[in-house]
Order: sequence, then C-alpha cells, then structure tokens
Amino acid sequence: MLIFETRENSRGPALDKATYDAVVVGAGLAGLMSAYYIAKEGFKVAVISKVFPTRSHSAAAEGGIAAYMEGNSDPNDSPDYMAYDTIKGGDYLVDQDAAELLAYKSGEIVDLLERWGALFNRQPDGRIAVRYFGGQTYPRTRFVGDKTGMALLHTVYERASGTDNVDFYYEWFTWDLVVDSDHRVRGVLAFDMRNMTPTFFEARAVVMASGGMGMLYKHSTNSYINTGDGYAMALRAGAALKDPEFVQFHPTALYPSDILISEAARGEGAVLRNNKGERFMARYAPKKLDLAPRDIVSRSIMIEIKEGRGFPGGYVGLDLTHLGEEYIKERLALAYEAALNFAGVDATKEMIPVRPAQHYFMGGIDVDIKGRNPDLIGLFAAGEAACVSVHGANRLGSNSLLETLVFGRETGIAVAEYLKTASWPSSDVAKDAERSVEQAYSVVKSESGRHFGEILEELRSTMWDYVGIFRNDGGLRNALSKIDQLRGEINKMYVTDKSKVYNTEFFNALELKNMLDLALVIAHAALNRTESRGAHYREDYPQRNDQEWMKHTLTYLRGKTVEISYKPVKVTRWKPEERVY
Amino acid sequence: MSTPVQIQDLQEAEVVFRVKRYSKEKGDYWQEYKLKVDRFTQVTEALRRIKVEQDPSLAYRASCHMAVCGSCGMKINGEPRLACKTLVLDVVKKFGTNVITLEPMDRFPIVKDLVVDMTEFYDRMERVKPRLYPSKEVLEYKAEHRLKPEDQRLLWKFAQCIWCGLCVSACPAVKEDPLFLGPAAHAKGFRFLRDPRDTITEERVKVLADSAWRCTYCYMCYHVCPRDIEPVTAIKKTRALLKSVKPMGPAQEVGHKHSEAVYESIYKHGKINEGVVYVKTYGLIRSLVDMTYAFRAGKAKYALEKVEPVKEIEQVRELMRGE
Repeated sequence: MLIFETRENSRGPALDKATYDAVVVGAGLAGLMSAYYIAKEGFKVAVISKVFPTRSHSAAAEGGIAAYMEGNSDPNDSPDYMAYDTIKGGDYLVDQDAAELLAYKSGEIVDLLERWGALFNRQPDGRIAVRYFGGQTYPRTRFVGDKTGMALLHTVYERASGTDNVDFYYEWFTWDLVVDSDHRVRGVLAFDMRNMTPTFFEARAVVMASGGMGMLYKHSTNSYINTGDGYAMALRAGAALKDPEFVQFHPTALYPSDILISEAARGEGAVLRNNKGERFMARYAPKKLDLAPRDIVSRSIMIEIKEGRGFPGGYVGLDLTHLGEEYIKERLALAYEAALNFAGVDATKEMIPVRPAQHYFMGGIDVDIKGRNPDLIGLFAAGEAACVSVHGANRLGSNSLLETLVFGRETGIAVAEYLKTASWPSSDVAKDAERSVEQAYSVVKSESGRHFGEILEELRSTMWDYVGIFRNDGGLRNALSKIDQLRGEINKMYVTDKSKVYNTEFFNALELKNMLDLALVIAHAALNRTESRGAHYREDYPQRNDQEWMKHTLTYLRGKTVEISYKPVKVTRWKPEERVY
Repeated sequence: MSTPVQIQDLQEAEVVFRVKRYSKEKGDYWQEYKLKVDRFTQVTEALRRIKVEQDPSLAYRASCHMAVCGSCGMKINGEPRLACKTLVLDVVKKFGTNVITLEPMDRFPIVKDLVVDMTEFYDRMERVKPRLYPSKEVLEYKAEHRLKPEDQRLLWKFAQCIWCGLCVSACPAVKEDPLFLGPAAHAKGFRFLRDPRDTITEERVKVLADSAWRCTYCYMCYHVCPRDIEPVTAIKKTRALLKSVKPMGPAQEVGHKHSEAVYESIYKHGKINEGVVYVKTYGLIRSLVDMTYAFRAGKAKYALEKVEPVKEIEQVRELMRGE
C-alpha cells in the first residue's frame, strides 16, 4: 500500500511548504475576525478550514448577539449589569476582567458589524432593534431574523475575503501544530482534502479558531464538522486546556436530528410533557416550571426518560397544541418550521419531540484576554476553541456570537502586535513536520483490526452516558477505562478507502484520534472536580463548593496520562453569591 | 388540560438508497444501500449512518444539518435539494417507491461520489463583489447608518442565500450563456445594489445590468431554492431598477426594446401584437430572417394576424397612465 506514504526518493523536498506570517485554523466568526485584524497590519495570513468559510458552525447560531449599545439600550442598563449577568450565569467561574471586556466592547462590535453591512433587524427610526434573552437583566439581544449567526458569518467573510493579504485554504484539514524544542509554534501541517497532499504551513503565529466538539457526544446540536480538532492539536503540542469538564447541554433539541429548538418556545408558553401527558416540570421546579435554568430542565427530562416516562426512542414532548394555530405560526415560527421541516411534525397538532443534547463547550485552549496561550510561544486561540474564561461554568445565551467577534478581534490585534517584534527562528523543523505526516498515516495504516466507525459510536455513547448531564465517580471511571481502551484500539484501526481524492474516511479517522485525546481530558477533569457547578453536575457532590473549587482546572495531556493543575479565578468587583433565579 | 397527541408511531420502514458514485480510479457506477429509517430521518442522517455502519468510503458533504450552511446540495430522485432539508419518508411518499436515488448536483464537475467542485460557483459570487462598500465617513466613524425596517426586510430576503449552488445547478440559462451570472450571484448582487448604505453603485450596474436580461424567467431557481429567496425576483427587480441606465449591453438593449414594444402594444390594443413586438425588439432584418423559420413551422399566421383593440381599451390606458 503506497497511498498513505510521504514522497521518498522523489525530486525536491519531501513536503510542500508555504510560508505566512500567521496561520488561522478555522474560518468561522472568530477565525475570520482574527485574520482580518492580522492582515490589516500588513501581515500575510493563511486561513485554513475543513469547509468553505460560510459552512462553518457559526452559521448555526439562531437567537442573536448580546450588546449594550450606548443610546440604544434600556436607560437603566449598563455594561456593568451585563458583566454581572455573565458572571452569575457562569456560576462564578468567570474571569471578571474578561466579562467586563466582553460587556464594554459589545456595543462597538455590533456597531462595527453594522458598518460592514450586517442586516440587523431595525426599529422604526432605523436604529438596531433589541429583544430579551434568558439570563439578561435588561434586553440586549440584537438579531438578524432568526439566522443571526449565518448573517454575521457571511458579513465577516465578505469583509475578510475582500482584504489583501488573506489567502483562504478551504477543504484543507489541519492535522498538527509544529512546535520546536524552544516551545515555539512554527506552523501547522495540513492536508489538501481534494488530493491528500500534505503541506507544511510555516508561520510565526498560529491562531486556533477551530470551534467546538459536539461530535464527541451521541446527541449534539453541533454541526457534523465539530470534532474538536483544535483542542487535540493544542494538547498534543503541549498546551493546556482550561476547564474542560464544563460542557453545556441544551434541554430542547429536536428528536432525532438534534436541531436546537430555542428556549424562546417555552418563553412563549410551550410546555414539556412525558408519555403520560404530565407536565412533569411541576415535580422538579414547582415555581419556574418549564422556564427553570437549562441544566435543571435538561436533568429533569433525562430522569423522565430514564424512569420510563419518555417516548420510545428516548424523548419527551414539547407541547404547543394548546396555544392555537395562529399564535404558534406568529410567535413560534422558528420552532414550528424546524419541527415541520426536520421532523415532519405539525406542531399545531402534535407535540414536538425533544430531548437534551450537547450544545456548547465552555472549556478550551487556555488563553488570556488577548488570546495568548502561556504554554507555547506564538500560539493564540479564539472563539469556542479558546477558553478566555468568559463563560465560566455555564454560557449565557447570545454571548457566544459576541465572544467570537470581540475576542476574535482582540486576538487578531494581539497577533499583529506579536508579529511586529517576533523574529523568524533559524532552526529547521522540516523533519518535525514530516514526522507529523507519518503519524497521520500511521493512524490508518493497519490492514485489519477495528473499523473507525465502531470506535466512534462507542466513544459517543460513552461520553453521553457517563460524561454527560449526570456524572458520578463510578460512571466517570467507567468512561476513563473505556476511553483508554479505545485509544489503544485506534492503533489497530483501518480505513477501507485508499484513494487519494477527497478521502473523507481518512479524515474521519484523524478526527476520531482527536476526539479520543479530548475525551480523555474531559473525563479526567470531570472526575477530578468533586463539586457541582453550572453545567458540571456530580450526583455524588451535588453542591457548589467555593472553598475548594472556585478555581480553573488546567489539563495537560502527557501520553496516556492527564496532568492537572489549577489557576485562580480573576475576581474584580463581584463576590460569589448563590445562583438563584 | 388537553391530552397530548401521541408521537410514538415512528413509521419505521426499510428504504433502498441507489447512490451514483464516482471516483477517478473506478469511474461512474451505482451502488445500493438498504437502511431502516423512520419518519424523522433526514437524508443527511441516512448518509451519516450509511457511512458509519455500512460503507465509510462514501463521500458527501454535510455540516449543520439545519439548512443554514449550504453544504449538502444533491439530486434526490432527480430533484435538486438539500439533503438535510429532505425527510426520507417524504420522498418515498411523493414518488411512491422506497427506492431513492442520490446523485451529485448537475453542472459542476464531480470530484468524488456526491462531492462536486464548486470553484466556478464561488467565482461567480465573487464577480458581483459580494460585500458592502460603505462610505469613508461611516468607516471612520464620522457618520452612522440608519436603515429603514422595510429596506432591511427586502434586503434580508435576498441576503439569506447560503451559497449551496442548487439554483445554479438547475439553471438552463447558465448552461447556455457564459455571460449570464446565474441566479445566486444575481440575488447577492441585487442585495448590495439596492442597499442604501453602499457606495459603488456604478460598478455594480456594469456587472449586473446586462446579465439580468440573460435570465429566461424559467423559475427553476425559484422552485429549487431551499431558503425561498427567489433569485428570479431579484433579477426582475434589478431589471426594473436599471431600466434606463446607459450605455446598454447587448442583452439589455434587446430587453429594453422588447419591454417598450410590449408596453406600446398593450397601450394601443390592450393585448400583445406579436408581429409588431418582434420587429420592434429585433429589428426588421432579423425579423425577416426569423420569419422564414416561422413560415416553415406553419406559425407565421400568428405573427400576421390583424390585431383589433380590446373593447375596454380606454380603461386599460387609464390604468397604464396610472389614473
């Protein structure tokens, strides 16, 4: 089998090379924003993405982007209230300087997107409209119809693609960071998916903006492409992931496609029912009922299903039928259409089948508010791939689009600053890049053994069952031994497709390797944190424990083991209090 | 409290997917996969399961599975559709068979299986300069934009294009006319042409005006667009907006003459006088040449028919004068 082999004995170097000042991995909102601000300072940037930029997962965000806009917000509101909401929502694991920066720059970033052409919904006087979203003291969410993420992604892509100095490499798969012996990032190794050619993208700075990891879970609202590649690359290169135990689950994802049904539906009067027709939230949250916080509703639904009161297949009903056709079509258009298009359910007559699903990863590559990673010189991260600690233990709705733009820009500016003084190191890393190609091929080299599809499904079930909405010591230990076993088995993994053209099977196998590295770290951190906080719920430790655990987890992957250390939470003005809504 | 409708009837069924495959090594061939599905199964989910459970070598694109990323355009039983926005059992019911064919989109070169090369599509989009060019004052924060809610609504309709390529794959005019930008690019082009915040109108007119007259109004784009953005409507609006801009390109000039001739004919007779409209549109010489074809086809009589004004002609004229 000669297909997955580097060129040997051929003319020229063993590996193609492209040289840029900076490489941005990922072309969603955070990546495009960073790239734009790096290029603006005259530096050459390569944006590398598995998909064409507008196919990135940013497009899937529905509800909107939170912003305090001077002169266009509630007169009683202020950026301080916004920072406070973010900190409380994150169950006090939020770095408060990050939350303040997010809040104070929110208005200008929305304003900037408007100047770039974003078609925000308008008030009659032509200014940007606003609406309420969960967890906000005052209404702050700005929106473009019900497709805010898609609208903003197109706007930022339009801007970035009209800029000199940015080259797009779409349908290129980034496999590894290349790091030298001085812990300096030297670029990335990526494959052109159309012909499998590996190329070493040499650069002085790398921005990881590779998005989330929903595919680790059997049920997720994320795109199929969200396989956590960036986290795994950073881990393998020796960088830390911060707070990886914090994974958000959204209570109402459409069965079985796991498309998000926004909590706006429950806000407008939809209720959850089990297979007996009971409004079961009355048992779990007698006051807030269906509008209790996301984590509580998610856990309640799971209990109903576990105890046999769900529907066959494992879901409950989101009942709108009592609201009447006219009201549903006017006030709940998005939920109605999603149910109709993607589940074939007419919500005016039938309940919408829903269940909780993984939705967002609060953890990520450890960075400061400038997007800088402290472990590796020249490594930056932004968006869901990063953990600036702005979401803490639980992200508030409308804050993720905001984070991608605010911190995408901060990171781009910081990279440009870094590039102004960083020199090109002289040591040769060509051999390291070649070794990385060999490692990619070795993942799929076996001719027999286990097929990656089986391993993948086992991993996704394991994560869902034991590292999901409910966690406990026994389950997490189970998960760890399973993940260990699967990590061993991928050494004997094989792929059937040996072709050199658009070989998605090969890339799926590489993704699986990434997913397993990440899964190990998440499960370790979840076992380690013996308290419940935000989205991390331990049945055996159901209380928040500020005394011992108001600190960030830092995780390093060292071969088969995960090394854990801690970092204090930055507190500026707000002392922790009980999180009651 | 009303009794909730039971949703436990999954309507499970076995379906056969006939997939048109292609690889450089093997060429074209059909392959069949049997799969158990239920009423909730999207075609993207079926493909994912085929790939994980049966044949990992099958290549296709899919990402968001909620019709916003535009990755999964393909032909399903011959119809250009997004695989995610298509439920398997809906197709079974519509076509009355549990055999479903999946083929790559037409027009684009095939890379592998259901994956096509969309470079040409992206180039088309780039030709209409798909981005806002705001004024210097706005970019320097010396001025700010206001946008009327009704303008926002109009532009947002066309800005919802997700670049899936289905309309271009289905467009017969794109196939025949290399100077036609195609439906998606026109929707994008109009979205910026009509944006009151934009400053490069002159340049946009040069790109869009003549091309807009190369559309044949067949409405394929209207039917296949998964986001209902109606590219053909954007083309109509572009024609109307740029009715009298000069200099005119060749297609625009013919189109302009045609619409003038139609207007005159209706003003005169209350209906279309085919012969006169033809001559006024294409000129005497071309009309005479074309007439020989019409004679041969036995259709000349329609062109030579004497046209009498309709009875209510005065009312028609009043309407046209806007009275």
